[in-house]
Amino acid sequence: MGVIKGVLKEELENSIRMKSDYERELAKLPKGSLIKKKVKGHEYYYLLLREKGKVRFIYKGKVSDEEIKKYKEAKEYRAKYRKLLSQVKKQIRFLRSTLRGKESI
Amino acid sequence: MEKNQYELCIKVLKRFDKAGVLKDVILIGSWCIPFYKEYFAGIKYISTIKTRDVDFLIPNPHGIRANVNIPELLKDLGFIIGYRGAKGYIKLEHPDLVVEFLSPEKGKGTDRPIPLPKLGVNAVALRFLSLLTDNVIKAKVEDFEVLLPHPANFALHKLIIFQRRLKEDKAIKDRNAAVEILKALITKGEAVTIKHVFNSMLPKWQKKVIKGLQEAKEREIILILQNAGK
Repeated sequence: MGVIKGVLKEELENSIRMKSDYERELAKLPKGSLIKKKVKGHEYYYLLLREKGKVRFIYKGKVSDEEIKKYKEAKEYRAKYRKLLSQVKKQIRFLRSTLRGKESI
Repeated sequence: MEKNQYELCIKVLKRFDKAGVLKDVILIGSWCIPFYKEYFAGIKYISTIKTRDVDFLIPNPHGIRANVNIPELLKDLGFIIGYRGAKGYIKLEHPDLVVEFLSPEKGKGTDRPIPLPKLGVNAVALRFLSLLTDNVIKAKVEDFEVLLPHPANFALHKLIIFQRRLKEDKAIKDRNAAVEILKALITKGEAVTIKHVFNSMLPKWQKKVIKGLQEAKEREIILILQNAGK
């Protein structure tokens, strides 16, 4: 087996494992994002969720700063991890097609 | 991907430097080769295939004083923890880079990772790594310094381990990198350093190096080493 082909094969195995690791991290993040609504001068929070293609608002009422921070961070990490997961998926597609297309690199 | 990889590697090194960790770890593996650039300035430089794995060697016993949670330190760069093997070796993964910690194996060895609670990670214990901690150089990268094994130690270590590789292609990659570095050192007029490092090795390890060079058909280097004691 060529050196490059061997390296690519290993990279493919790593990318496949990495894909499931990013999926695991995404699943660990709290679902949905907090939406603030102002009713008669008072601020209330709703959790915006997407379930089976439908958008749901769950009333949360008043929430602590800590919880607001938690959802804000989760939103940022969700966007980041999704972007990286899509990068890993692209790598997998690329590596698979390269390894399929060449017998000896 | 290559440019992104390099930039991300620099970001990781910078964070390690700021956190006070970089001075206690040695960058090893294929990623130390680009940082030998300055050391081999003016010499036809070695080229090797870089993988995504950025390996940091932690001497055993380690002298790490910094209390830094490395997974947290790299989290906002997109690194996540990946557990490997039944014993749970920790790797910090990113599509462009995978950061891993290694440590020299002591005594009979162990298949368990070495816990590094101060850093929030663990290290894989591997044989022969002490060869890389014996002789270290500093490479200037941007505004900080990174510790690297001396190229002679790096190359002789590769010559030992390529024979232990299960995957033939990885073995060839290691062997080629070792030979290229040794040739660059000879061109630089550092044959004496190679001899010196070879002399400092255990006779068993020396035999493995010679065997590796025989396999690579590098008679010129064998001659240099065999005159090592003279």
